[in-house]
Amino acid sequence: MQSTLVLQNLLSAPVLFFFLGILAVVLGSDLEIPSPLPKLFSLYLLLAIGFKGGVELSHSGLGSMVLLTIAAAILMSLLVPISSFYILRPRLGADNAAAVAAAYGSISAVTFITAQSFLNVVKVPYDGFMVAALALMESPAIVVGVVMAKLAASRLEPSPGGPSGGKEPIPWPEVLREAFLNGSVFLLIGSLVIGGLVAYFSPSGVERMEPFTEKLFYGVLCFFLLDMGLVAAQRLRDLRQTGPFLVAFAIAAPIVHAFIGLLIARLLGLPQGDALLFMVLSASASYIAVPAAMRMTVPHANPSLYITTALGLTFPFNVVVGIPLYMALVQRFIPVA
Amino acid sequence: MKRVDFFVSEREIERLCKAIRQAGAPGYSVMRHVTGWGVAGEISEAMDFSGLGANAHVVVFCDADAIAALQGVVRPLLERFGGVGFVSEAEKF
Repeated sequence: MQSTLVLQNLLSAPVLFFFLGILAVVLGSDLEIPSPLPKLFSLYLLLAIGFKGGVELSHSGLGSMVLLTIAAAILMSLLVPISSFYILRPRLGADNAAAVAAAYGSISAVTFITAQSFLNVVKVPYDGFMVAALALMESPAIVVGVVMAKLAASRLEPSPGGPSGGKEPIPWPEVLREAFLNGSVFLLIGSLVIGGLVAYFSPSGVERMEPFTEKLFYGVLCFFLLDMGLVAAQRLRDLRQTGPFLVAFAIAAPIVHAFIGLLIARLLGLPQGDALLFMVLSASASYIAVPAAMRMTVPHANPSLYITTALGLTFPFNVVVGIPLYMALVQRFIPVA
Repeated sequence: MKRVDFFVSEREIERLCKAIRQAGAPGYSVMRHVTGWGVAGEISEAMDFSGLGANAHVVVFCDADAIAALQGVVRPLLERFGGVGFVSEAEKF
């Protein structure tokens, strides 16, 4: 891996603020961000990235490359949780395996945004339509996770006295509600649509939004990553519960998924910037939409497992090591356009 | 007069309140952002950004004969999503 890529990533403001958050916990600082603010920052980032993605999608249109990329992204969000489930189930049981698998099939918008800001630093262009892929990868993994858990439960743990002959039905309204109306998914897709509509019908509106969606964006990302550093470091205490197998999975899975993402990106002929974003989408794990959805739909799964792995291990790995590693692979295997 | 204290995740608060109304309780009070320590480990607001907030404390005052109805609708929720409930005697001030 080129050392300049690592340094450019490590010395970017968002990653440095992430380290500052970790350092605060390690050194026992009383640094604390009041709880409504991270929620606000998270909503802001989703709104801004969705709006900007919608604007750029409106400019690029829905060509065959865009549709193929989105289809490939959705396919990844179906395949990753299925394969992860079968790897994890023997060790974790059906519910925990399904919840962790859903987290890894879904995406981390903040990792994606950090990758975008890394691409800006290294001056590699990328397309706005990748935000559409981001938005559409969140929900399928949640549905797959719940379906896998319910199918496994109905096959392996029958309860003959149960109301449905031992098979607990999949609560589809609840699952679909959590998958598609989950606050973060709803805001991201809604902002994407609004961005597209405003860019198409009222282009001056895009300019008016710019002070909010562009100028503030980088600072808010830094502040949010500071909080993520605090939360991720606090989560590391829970590693004792996860065990070495899950720790290994949390590091190996993003690398394997990113490599599959790289192969797909090469097959699709994506340019370097989009290829990196596709790899990051494939490699990242959700710690916003999925935990909330799993809590409601697979309540017996242990949140310590799926939150600690996604937020305490995979997120820092991707932000600190993964992004420059994936970029090095992109530069090696994806030709410059 | 009985007092019932429920501690559940904030995420399930709507379901719990609906169940309490369904049981015919005369009213309830909800205190959000409840942090602490319990069987599930530390309860904090650190994951509030994800929708997995802290706990909520719900207090219900009702007649003794309403307890059975309350248990009938709330117990399945506590068994499914986790959480605890305690019944105690109360006296009107």
